[in-house]
Amino acid sequence: MTSHLLWIAPLVPFAAGLVMLLVRDRRVLAALDVAASLAVLGLALAVARAVSEHGAVTALGVFRADALAVVFLVLVGLLAVAVSIATVGWMRREVARGEMREDRLRFYFALVHGFVATMVVTVLSDNLGILWIAMEGTTITSALLVGFHGDRHGLEAAWKYIIVTTIGISFGLFGTVLYYGAAAHAQGGVFAGAMNWSSISAIADRLDPGIVRIGFVFVMVGYGTKAGLAPVHMWLPDAHSQAPTPVSALLSGALIKCALFGIIRFHGIARDACGPEFSHGLLLAFGLVSVVVATPFIIVQHDLKRLLGYHSVEHVGIIALGLGFGGRLGTYGALLHVINHGVTKALVFLIAGDAIGRYGTRDMRLMKGFLGVAPIAGTLLLMGAFSLAGTPPFSVFVSELMVIRAGIATGRWVSVAVFLAMVVIIFAGLVHHVGQLAFGAADGHVERGREPLSPLVALVLLAIVMVLFGVWIPIEPDRVLSAATEIVVG
Amino acid sequence: MTVELATRLIDVLGGLLLFTMLLILAAGQVFRAIYAVAAQAAFLGVAGAVLAAATGNVDLWVIAGITVVAKAVLLPWLLIRVVRRVRIAREIEPVIPVHLTLTIAAGIVVLAFHLNASLGPVRQAITGNALPVGVTLILIGVLVMASRRKALVQMVGLFASENGIFFTAMAVSQGMPLIIEIGVILDVVLGALVMGILVLRVRSSVDADIADLESLRG
Amino acid sequence: METTLTHVARTAAQAALLVAAAPLVTGLVQKLKARLQCRRGASVWQPYRDLAKLLRKGTVEADTASPFFRAVPVLVLAATVATTAMLPVLWAPAQPAAVPLGDAILLVALLALARFLLAVGALDAGGAFGGMGASREMTVGLLVEPALMLTVFSVAVSAGTTEVGLLAARRAPLALSWAAPDLLALFAMLILALAETGRIPVDNPDTHLELTMLHEGMLLEHSGPGLACIALATQVKQLVTLTLVAALFLPVGLASDSSPASLAIALGAFAAKVLALAGFLGLVESSYAKLRFFRVPHFLGLGLVCAFLALALRVL
Repeated sequence: MTSHLLWIAPLVPFAAGLVMLLVRDRRVLAALDVAASLAVLGLALAVARAVSEHGAVTALGVFRADALAVVFLVLVGLLAVAVSIATVGWMRREVARGEMREDRLRFYFALVHGFVATMVVTVLSDNLGILWIAMEGTTITSALLVGFHGDRHGLEAAWKYIIVTTIGISFGLFGTVLYYGAAAHAQGGVFAGAMNWSSISAIADRLDPGIVRIGFVFVMVGYGTKAGLAPVHMWLPDAHSQAPTPVSALLSGALIKCALFGIIRFHGIARDACGPEFSHGLLLAFGLVSVVVATPFIIVQHDLKRLLGYHSVEHVGIIALGLGFGGRLGTYGALLHVINHGVTKALVFLIAGDAIGRYGTRDMRLMKGFLGVAPIAGTLLLMGAFSLAGTPPFSVFVSELMVIRAGIATGRWVSVAVFLAMVVIIFAGLVHHVGQLAFGAADGHVERGREPLSPLVALVLLAIVMVLFGVWIPIEPDRVLSAATEIVVG
Repeated sequence: MTVELATRLIDVLGGLLLFTMLLILAAGQVFRAIYAVAAQAAFLGVAGAVLAAATGNVDLWVIAGITVVAKAVLLPWLLIRVVRRVRIAREIEPVIPVHLTLTIAAGIVVLAFHLNASLGPVRQAITGNALPVGVTLILIGVLVMASRRKALVQMVGLFASENGIFFTAMAVSQGMPLIIEIGVILDVVLGALVMGILVLRVRSSVDADIADLESLRG
Repeated sequence: METTLTHVARTAAQAALLVAAAPLVTGLVQKLKARLQCRRGASVWQPYRDLAKLLRKGTVEADTASPFFRAVPVLVLAATVATTAMLPVLWAPAQPAAVPLGDAILLVALLALARFLLAVGALDAGGAFGGMGASREMTVGLLVEPALMLTVFSVAVSAGTTEVGLLAARRAPLALSWAAPDLLALFAMLILALAETGRIPVDNPDTHLELTMLHEGMLLEHSGPGLACIALATQVKQLVTLTLVAALFLPVGLASDSSPASLAIALGAFAAKVLALAGFLGLVESSYAKLRFFRVPHFLGLGLVCAFLALALRVL
């Protein structure tokens, strides 16, 4: 029974997307959207329950759900639900403002659900080839979404996005091919399930280290491009800022984490094949570079959504740092950060979209007094911003602290010192930007209306998770995270 | 067909692929680059057929056929249609001088072959010189994309990169599973379609080449 | 084992054959181009008649020309004819020659010497066209000669010698089993052949417009028998280049003794190879336009990279 869930999970949003192509009424579309997302979340939780009871579940020889996959799957489901709920109100306002045409809404929703479906396949796939195909599928669907508005900036961002990530993902494919070649050579020929992570993992210590090293470098560059690790992150600020807001939330919150999932899978094999130092070293290097590169751009940023985009680069760097430090503490911290950052970033993106809609501009220097204009959203924005900067009692603080402690425990003083310095600078910059945005008095032409219910529900939901994980991690998620850590650490 | 003959043929085809890659790099006009990448895909199909005959893997025949149809006929046809619709200037202006790109390309080839020489017995898992030629094609494809300002030439560079990956993938053991290869080719075609759509949309709304848009900075 | 006398006799015969056949090859290329342009074209023997005509005419010289200028045509012809002694046209000796008459390095050096003499002669006459043609020709030579050397080395490494005749003999058994470096070297050589023979897309041999001349610019000041010498030298250089390509990459049908049967085969093979390569030249000339001079280095750079990679891949 549970193995059927694995292939039903991506099928639901895919079928919903196809159905949406036929529907023209906006309200029906919104209802279908929310329903499909709730179904995805429900399926994700069911799979999580099954995995924690019975261990890893496989289906059709190509799908596999273990604790690690469950972490990412639940994140995707949660964000899909939050974004769907928020889209209801966002879409109403966009159509009213004339930014979105009603007859194109069905394509938008269909693409979003196709996007969600490909992400679900990515985290559930055991076969490394299917993983790649789904990853490329996310690129194709999200590229169309990024350029959906059709304006000059959006198209430029979409072009850069699709070109850079496709070439990056091709590197990842080459790495996959090399891993497959190493596995086939170690096994003495092709065998059933030769491209499956589970089978390659089982013989990982017999793989030729030279080929696995080259393969991992290609995978790191390739999937790292998709994840937004510097120095191949250039597409991220453009794409995440020019996309429609709900899509930005999904991109920053879920998609880059799925790319990291791919890296983690390959890292698991590389760790056994050529020793943990190599892949840990690479992850550490990429992570540190990302954090360092993102910092100056955050300080001098004027565009609100671009600021959040660079912030995503920094946080992906933190996750890579956690994985690079290694050990139970570092890996647990990295995986926890996946969830924490995903939730918090989605929250802040959605509020940012609301703010941009009200003020009519993206430039933060022109936006003031948000707290007065929209009290609840403003409060949540402040909470989210402090969370992103790594302040207690919010969730991001907990995972960042774990990563730092892991770094100290493994004796990497220089990396920890650099990381702490960057975090402090970013804290200052972020507080300055958001404070400028939230406080003060707003101009007259700002759209003040009552805050509609639909985005608020989603925002509050995300905020609750954010605060909860900052204070105390419930037992179930803790167990799943620990099991996932075991899988990665080996 | 013996393994030795297959290895020699793969070596020769690898050389041909390298030459077409250099042609793409040195191409002065968009059409020449497109024809070169179509020829490259045709050689790739031949390589697939050679490997299919050598290893007896029926899937490889199918893959070779699909490669020829999709990458040697369909994609170049798509590109040529976009070029004609968009009516862009034919010449390619490189960002980096051509001599420099040719030198970097030569360096990449030497590096890749040197890397290949430093690997151990696992080299036998990959027939002939498919691994260094694959690495070379990927990296030179990235070089083409980085050093050209025209969107369509960047797409050609992307396709050439993927040809390199396919070459290595086909030569690894007995080729990758059929369903994976089909999925990959499908993704490539869909990606190309989306890119073509983006190029045409930019042309219709903003009269510029999409790769020339540089307003998002900082 | 051939004696010194046999070797010298064969070399002389091959050289005579090359010099005698050179204008015919040019005539063939011209005829092919004419046919492709839907004309009847001049007869294939026309270059011989042109040479005869030039020999009968008198010499006109610029006032500023020095005695060296008068010597240039003869020197160029001598250098080019000397290169014909180093190529295996009909015979490919299986052992190193008793009297080594020169190898590929000397061949390339002599061709470079001829180019240099022409350029200096053109400068000596003091005309504007001469100076411009000379500078352009030397630029092309700067890119072509290293590539030529690299290509020759790439093939020589596999055979273990740079003496072209011996190289051809050693590679004859594996004549058609090319590897990737051979292919790259062949492509490089074909590009270089276009440059060495002064044909489109590098240079236009049919024109005398100042902006399109490289080689022709250097010839403008010569007249009468001097011009005949240089014209013959150009044609011999073309045939030498084609024979070099054939010897390096298609060493089939070469004779190892003097029996009539093997000679006939060798002659037929030589004719076929030269015809094929001449056809290649004619086709390329008819299909492409001449490149702007600033783009010629890119084209030749491609050849240089191919040659370099041919050598690198042979070694790695």
